[in-house]
Amino acid sequence: MTAVIDNTSPAPAMVPLLSDLSSVSGRRRNKNMVMTVLMGVSVVVVGFVLLLVLITVVRKGWSIVVSEFPKWFTKDIQLSPRRAGPGMKAAIVGTIVATATATVIAVPLGIAGAIYLNEYGKRSAFARTLRFLTNVMAGVPSIVMGLFIYVFWVVPRGVDGLNAFSGALALACLMLPIVVRSTEEMLRLVPQNLRDASLALGATASRTTLTVVIPKAAPGIISGSLLAIARAAGETAPLIFTVGAAKATNWNPFSGTNTSLSLQIYANAKESFPTAQERAWGAALTLIALAFLFTFGARALSGRLSRTTES
Amino acid sequence: MALALDDLKSKNQTADRAFRGATLAGGATIVIILGLIAWTIADKSRLAFKTEGLSFFTEPRWAPAANVYGALSFIYGTAVTATIAVLLAVPVSLGIALFTTQVAPSWLKRPIVAMTDLVAVVPSVVFGLWGIIFLAPKLTPVFKRVSGWFHGVPVLGRIFGPASSGRTFMTAGLILAIMITPIIASISREVMETCPLTDRDGALALGATRWEMIKGAVLTHSAGGIVGSVMLGLGRAMGETIAAALVIGSSAAITANVFSPGDSLPSVIAFEWGEATSDVKRSALIAMGLTLFVMTLIVNFVATAVVNRSMKRMRGES
Amino acid sequence: MNIPRKRLGAVVSVLAISLIGAACSSSSTTTAGTTAGTTAAGNTTTSAAAGMDYSKLDGKIVGSGATFPKSFYDEAIANLAGIAPKLTVEYGGGGSGKGRSDLQEQVVDFAGTDGVVKPEDIAKFKGGDFVYVPTVIAPITLSYNLPSVKTLQLSPATIAGIYQLKITKWNDAAIAADNPGVTLPATTIVAARRADGSGTTDNFTKFLKASVGTDAGGTWALGSGSTVEWPAGTQAGDGNTGVAQIVSTTEGAIGYVDLSDAKANKLSFAAIKNKAGKFVMPTLEATSAAAEGATIKDDLTFFLGWADGDASYPIAAQTWIIAYTKQADPVKAANIRGFLTYLLNEGQTLAPTIDYAPLPETLRMKAIANIAKIGG
Repeated sequence: MTAVIDNTSPAPAMVPLLSDLSSVSGRRRNKNMVMTVLMGVSVVVVGFVLLLVLITVVRKGWSIVVSEFPKWFTKDIQLSPRRAGPGMKAAIVGTIVATATATVIAVPLGIAGAIYLNEYGKRSAFARTLRFLTNVMAGVPSIVMGLFIYVFWVVPRGVDGLNAFSGALALACLMLPIVVRSTEEMLRLVPQNLRDASLALGATASRTTLTVVIPKAAPGIISGSLLAIARAAGETAPLIFTVGAAKATNWNPFSGTNTSLSLQIYANAKESFPTAQERAWGAALTLIALAFLFTFGARALSGRLSRTTES
Repeated sequence: MALALDDLKSKNQTADRAFRGATLAGGATIVIILGLIAWTIADKSRLAFKTEGLSFFTEPRWAPAANVYGALSFIYGTAVTATIAVLLAVPVSLGIALFTTQVAPSWLKRPIVAMTDLVAVVPSVVFGLWGIIFLAPKLTPVFKRVSGWFHGVPVLGRIFGPASSGRTFMTAGLILAIMITPIIASISREVMETCPLTDRDGALALGATRWEMIKGAVLTHSAGGIVGSVMLGLGRAMGETIAAALVIGSSAAITANVFSPGDSLPSVIAFEWGEATSDVKRSALIAMGLTLFVMTLIVNFVATAVVNRSMKRMRGES
Repeated sequence: MNIPRKRLGAVVSVLAISLIGAACSSSSTTTAGTTAGTTAAGNTTTSAAAGMDYSKLDGKIVGSGATFPKSFYDEAIANLAGIAPKLTVEYGGGGSGKGRSDLQEQVVDFAGTDGVVKPEDIAKFKGGDFVYVPTVIAPITLSYNLPSVKTLQLSPATIAGIYQLKITKWNDAAIAADNPGVTLPATTIVAARRADGSGTTDNFTKFLKASVGTDAGGTWALGSGSTVEWPAGTQAGDGNTGVAQIVSTTEGAIGYVDLSDAKANKLSFAAIKNKAGKFVMPTLEATSAAAEGATIKDDLTFFLGWADGDASYPIAAQTWIIAYTKQADPVKAANIRGFLTYLLNEGQTLAPTIDYAPLPETLRMKAIANIAKIGG
């Protein structure tokens, strides 16, 4: 790949220091500065919006989470939304169970699909179709995923079909395209010469993929999977049709109705009572904190892993 | 010795084939699931097409009381909000990704990554609630002022037309833009990270400014990945349900005015499903899902074609 | 169920009158006691009785559907949990349409609905025959935000004008005509309505259609339904809460909100002109009065809006729980009966405390008779 360089400007006689741009024409220097500032501004803008959202959530949700601490995390949800009192354990457990189950289904499947696309299928007609279909799947609205699982999985099972596993299936459908597409992008960027070197040393294709390509792409794969998990944990629409409306804690994904933080946010926000409104924001705060802790932990872990493999 | 090696080879080959088969199965699952989704929603929307015919796509009215079920207003709303979202999110996301990988000192990288992660973990319903409680009331005067600036200006005057509330196409587009920013930024960043140092150093060594180096080396290297991330973001923007539903204004309208309340396909499914008591209405709502499915299909088709052509041209030039 | 099938009708009704009497003295008239004994309902021995031993109920039942009665059901479920510790009742809301399709596909054990299942859809219910059990009624208010106006009166024609954006200012001649002697500001009217399909919209537009619909020679041209083609200038909020929020934060706004949400949001509401030409405030008594005059069909379906009678409030919502008569699991059947029995006995005393109106006694007795058909 050749870098496109502005040929109109005079070529410097000597190689300039990286920071020394004095020999560059004013127009180019200005453009460089404007673009750099714009990049910085992008970060600030998104940071500002995030701060506004977080302030709203913390201000409205903080008091119920910490009042009578740690009851918010250890007690089941109030049966009647108009009654005061903490308790969101059932939803915290439900979110963890459904999201974890969905992750177990979608992430291995998605990574396998991406490996096929990038390492075997490549530009074949099937691989191209698959890539195309994955993009299409990413655009299927979450509520349609929910309806699909409802029609296809819940209805044949009747009341017993309302459980965390059904919800996890819908969430897995949402996660799958994100995992596949992001993983494939990361695999594609692993330099070909690494593969060639491994193959030349006599390793099989599968061994090369598992021991050379995947570790190299791991940080990116984890990033993509985390995006998918975060998306799943925050989804409401697919769960409305699939998990039921429990208010008591249920650790079993395969049996019994369940609930989730996202469902509790939506359901409580629809109630006019101040107690319910507070509960909705408390659940939002909990969900954001939970998801962020998890994301942060996974990143720290992957950072340490990649450092140990490198050294 | 030779025999043992042969043995090993065949064993390896079996393992190799099994691995390949497993990844193929992973890929095939997607095709199967998507096939099932397509079949299920096509089957369930048959009734709507039988009663409405092709006018389902051309009828702007959604009047269940009069048995008129048209999707055109919602198709339009989905296109408008997704376009606004992508137009706003792509430059910002790329800015963040470039800043993180090319500009920021190493100590600043982790906080920025953490920040984008944090945006990604905010649940969609929270963005929606924040949108109606906080953002929409603050946007109303802004919309009014902007529409005042463009009053009488051709084209722009119609796009930024009169505003009466904070629940509009624009508000939905803004919220969607915030939601897809972490997707585009995060994947683009990972892709840019892998840009070979030699490419970057080469460009700089030739006297390129940082921006020229980014344009020449980083963006060229990452183009494919960036397009992929934008497609994922676009898919999300078109399919997002609750957040858009809460702020879009729920009014079946086709107007160039982005400050007017509108509605989108996923929002109407979410808001109408609960009280859809007749079979035709339920079928019409599922047909909306099918319509969105077809829309993403077309968008992806066009995008793939455009990317392939530009790739070919790039290869032809070099 | 272990309760002996005795003739409890008379006992029940006497007990019920004493239970409800305090809450709505005007609604439970003297006819109740005799009706229960003489109608078919009274003769088909009611196994569901006020003196039921709820603590024997054991297991879990799941329901979904109408959101209008949800906060009543939630409160009743919370109370029931105190006396039936082994019983779990889940009610997920989601809307009448969702409830009905869930029950149709047998994904739930019971469904809440604000409307009646269409005759052509009945055959699609996988579990066969089902019964309607009316549970509670409530007025729909027209809440407004005008700090300077303490009392407001609106006639159906004025409401139709406001929601079709024909009347855009609060000091419009039509509103002034409804409110003699009241100084109205020149504030612009913001008409708030539901963004989501809703039973409340259905009942509100049915009232407009019945009172001033174009069929009846009036001006209301949008028909009725859970969603109608609102003009683009109206503002949409998600749920009663969303509409209440628009009203409470926008000066000059008006919205149709059920009483319990209007009160929870501390909104002021208007008196509405009824069929008899009287302006009536949305009170529980006025709603019960409307129910007294309603025509109850054999399957216990009815419509409360635009009712006869001087004291009747004209915009009211009714709701039912529907469940299959044939039940495979007798324990589950007993649990459903137990929950419904609670709603129609103890629940009726609870209702007025949370801004829902109890059923008139005659209707309540018929409802109790319908409970016995579940799993019977």
